[in-house]
Amino acid sequence: MRELLKHPFWQAVIIVVGSFVLFEFGVAYLPPLLGMKSAPVPNSVLLQYMLTVLVGLLVYVSDNEQRWRRFKEPLHAVLVDPGKRALRMVLLVAVPLLVGFVTYDQLRPSVEAPLGLRSIHPAPPGQITFRGKTIVLARLENPLRADGSIAEDYQVGKRVYYQNCLPCHGDPLNGRGHYAHGFNPAPLDFTDNGTIPQLTESFVFWRVAKGGPGLPKEGTPWNSAMPAWEEFLTEEEIWSVIIFLYEQTGWTPRTWEEAAEGAEE
Amino acid sequence: MGTGRSARAPFAAAFVALFVFACKGGGGGEQEEAAPEAPAEEAAPAAVADAGTVKGVISFEGTPPAPKKIDMSEEPTCADKHQAMGGAVTEDVVVKDGKLKNVFVYIKEGLSGTYPKPSARVTIDQNGCVYNPHVLGIQPGQTLVIKNSDGLLHNINAKPDQNRGFNISQPTNMESTRTFTTPEVMIPVECDVHGWMKAYIGVLNHPYYAVSGDDGSFSIGNLPPGTYVVEAWHERYGTQTMSVTVGPNESKDVQFTFKAQMAEGAVVPLGRPIHL
Amino acid sequence: MRVVKRRDAALSLLALTLTVAPALYGQQAAPGKAVYDKWCAGCHGVDGKGDGPAAGYMLPRPRDFTQGIYQIRVTPSGALPRDEDLLRVIDEGMPGTAMPGWRTVLSKSDRQALVDYLKGFSHFFAQGPAPDAIRIGKAPGLSEEGLAEGKEFYDKIECWKCHGRAGRGDGPSAPTQDDELGFPIRPADLSENWTFNGGGTVEDVYRRLRTGMDGTPMPSFSDLVEAGFLTDEQLWRVAQYAHSLSPEKPPRVREVIRASRIEGELPSSPDDSAWAAAERFYVPLVGQVVVKPRWFAPTVDGVWVEALHNERDLALRLVWHDPSQSPDSAWLEWQARVLATVEPREGAPAEARLLPDVFAVQFPRRIPSGMERPYFLMGNAREPVHVWRWQSQPAAAVEATARGLNRIEPEAGRQALAGQAVFDQGEWRLVLRRPLATADPTDQLQFATGVAIPIAFFAWDGSNAEEGTRGAISTWYFLYLERETPARVYTAPVATMLLTAGLGLLVVVRAQRRQQHEAAA
Repeated sequence: MRELLKHPFWQAVIIVVGSFVLFEFGVAYLPPLLGMKSAPVPNSVLLQYMLTVLVGLLVYVSDNEQRWRRFKEPLHAVLVDPGKRALRMVLLVAVPLLVGFVTYDQLRPSVEAPLGLRSIHPAPPGQITFRGKTIVLARLENPLRADGSIAEDYQVGKRVYYQNCLPCHGDPLNGRGHYAHGFNPAPLDFTDNGTIPQLTESFVFWRVAKGGPGLPKEGTPWNSAMPAWEEFLTEEEIWSVIIFLYEQTGWTPRTWEEAAEGAEE
Repeated sequence: MGTGRSARAPFAAAFVALFVFACKGGGGGEQEEAAPEAPAEEAAPAAVADAGTVKGVISFEGTPPAPKKIDMSEEPTCADKHQAMGGAVTEDVVVKDGKLKNVFVYIKEGLSGTYPKPSARVTIDQNGCVYNPHVLGIQPGQTLVIKNSDGLLHNINAKPDQNRGFNISQPTNMESTRTFTTPEVMIPVECDVHGWMKAYIGVLNHPYYAVSGDDGSFSIGNLPPGTYVVEAWHERYGTQTMSVTVGPNESKDVQFTFKAQMAEGAVVPLGRPIHL
Repeated sequence: MRVVKRRDAALSLLALTLTVAPALYGQQAAPGKAVYDKWCAGCHGVDGKGDGPAAGYMLPRPRDFTQGIYQIRVTPSGALPRDEDLLRVIDEGMPGTAMPGWRTVLSKSDRQALVDYLKGFSHFFAQGPAPDAIRIGKAPGLSEEGLAEGKEFYDKIECWKCHGRAGRGDGPSAPTQDDELGFPIRPADLSENWTFNGGGTVEDVYRRLRTGMDGTPMPSFSDLVEAGFLTDEQLWRVAQYAHSLSPEKPPRVREVIRASRIEGELPSSPDDSAWAAAERFYVPLVGQVVVKPRWFAPTVDGVWVEALHNERDLALRLVWHDPSQSPDSAWLEWQARVLATVEPREGAPAEARLLPDVFAVQFPRRIPSGMERPYFLMGNAREPVHVWRWQSQPAAAVEATARGLNRIEPEAGRQALAGQAVFDQGEWRLVLRRPLATADPTDQLQFATGVAIPIAFFAWDGSNAEEGTRGAISTWYFLYLERETPARVYTAPVATMLLTAGLGLLVVVRAQRRQQHEAAA
């Protein structure tokens, strides 16, 4: 076993298999064990990673003459060794079969949905018209935070949320309300740290007020089931429900200072 | 018990046989003779010295709503039972010659002492897809026999407020028994299979109650002399109370009058509403 | 600089003082109160009466805790639930309702505290402990005969009076059902066990039969077993039969619906055996809660879609469950009750009316080249959609252009759509068929094979007051018309295989020759 680990060929094999397992499964499943969110690596990215690993390996094994020779030994043995005749035959059949299958898999008509790229937090406009009133979004703060009755605003926001947002975004605000399964894209999960804590309240106001139809094209407005809430709610109700979202999840909104820092980085 | 084995017998041929068998076996044969109709008026336990009586007639003023025909076409067995009478009609307001039936009259205040639960059982029968009786009284702990004489699916869904309810399926001729624990006027009962089937049960910790009959009359006997508040309850017209003093061996007449316009805004004490 | 304002702690204190404490019976269960008020009161109300702000926006309504009446128990009908019953519903939620599971959201101690707090809402819990669980044995082995026996008893104990002959919740008594508060409630559709409030396993179903579902019209069948009308095993058979009405697994939602290509004529009847060649796809539908007036109580919760084409025509077979063949006057009372119960009243009609059932399939007017497509909710004035609209009465299937849910207008040109529908025991089966190409390429979509075509589905149950914007909807899916597989899909792999094998042989032969050379040298 120890001999195997020292042999450059088997080292290469272990590294290739190990990196594949890490990229394909490790990235997706390890961070959640530590409580972090993650997602599977797309196939195109996986291919890039694996190519990088292969090139690195080739450079390593061909780096000096002796290692290169040792690296080739097992390969050469398979080709010529009389004792490896059976393995040779198996490979001569198996490898072409595999290549044939991969070719077929690539060529056969695919029924996958076309890739729908969508910007989740598209750039907001400088100003919007809310029921005929112009609201400048830049540096806009939630006006309810200034008047010091957050608890009341929370109660108003709670009522608004439960009577309007609940079916999609759900009681735990996790985007899994009892209607969520009917919609694609799925409703936003406010408990995810990639959502409202990354946004200023004015951004959230814009998204609530204008909903799906108010998205720019990169946000795929034709798909979103988010209503344009200005049709249903008053300006104050929207600001209240925003208070509710942050208070209920425990997140704090992104401040304009942070937003400015983020832009400089 | 042999029922299980018998019930596993081939159904196609044995449905009728099983049906008859189940009604006997399932009905608790040994209990049949022990379950006489227990009219509320006779429920008083023991003779009371110098007992008086409160009796009277419930009158109705105005035009009562015309009874509505109940569509029992889904249940021919039940429809047939009402054929002779020209079909089943609603029982919420039954007025004959200006007298109102199915009013629950009871002593609300003025009684002292405790009354042992009677051993007599009270039966509510599901017959012809209506409850018989439509209004009845019972005491806590007293056995309520729920009987299905129709041989088709009824569920009896009691919806009290102060007692625990129950919802029993009776898909055949059978009897079940239940008891209530707490006084409550009134507990609505309904059958969800037949939306028109409704009954009302008054639970009182004394035997002094009566239900007005076809002629609107009622009588509460064996009553110790004293001063009482008597209440008359009707499912559509709400309640009325009256104070009555009954002397030794006296028979006191009490007259209640319900008026058609009382249906508007009537407050009907009820466990939980049945159908909004 | 990072300015972080933490108001949470202060806020929850404030919220506590703002809300009026409910009249609690028994011990004051304070630890549960904060959790309850924060997460549960929105639906169930601060006082536990099932009257929170969201209560009117869902059907069935949230539970009223003040009566101590609970559907999902292990105890007999009318009895109090055990703590584990309450905890299970909190943990798992109630499928088929708006109640989510809280296991992953709240800590174990919070959930436990909630159980105690809920019990404090009802005086019944102070009167004594809940009885023991009804003992249930083990299900007998599953067998064909067992299921047949289950069906016989299903019929005999008249489950069908509410649940329907085929179990789709369409029995003759279905329109008059109400819950313990008098609100309308539907019998379960037994063919969708993933929506069973207390879980969809055979054991779950059996337990519901024994305990009944208090607060609903579902009675307990325990008296029946005790009376010997049927044996425990036979009741298990009923549970097994009811369970067998659902697919083995809940349907998986796939984004692409594949229309299989067949030779010859497409089936025009929904019950044609040719449909066996088509794959079944499930599309969930939910209430239209996007534009005014919204609808929070739709009847139809999903549609099974099958598609076939033969390079000339496309046929869709759409199957959905709806307990009423609308218009049906037997459901007018139901409709009136639903209209009186469900919020919001944004322009909802005041009175029950006879309305037809309607189904619509939506496409863009042309296959989009890029990502952009019309608005999923029947398009808009700027970008209309092409719609196949069917209705039950007067029976009609028309091609329409829609500019919003309230603006679906039949196309004036030549209609090429054919429709045929069957209503059978609470299920609509509809076939819509049209040539791939039509005479009007402006408004009518010209179908092509081998590309993903956006498609969406809409259903309206007339007996549930559904029309216009009040109905059930989906977002965009894709329809893919299978294309005849080009020959190279098969030839190319053979070629690459031969090539690889040849190369391999060459390498081996050369290496061996060299080896022999070296050995000879």
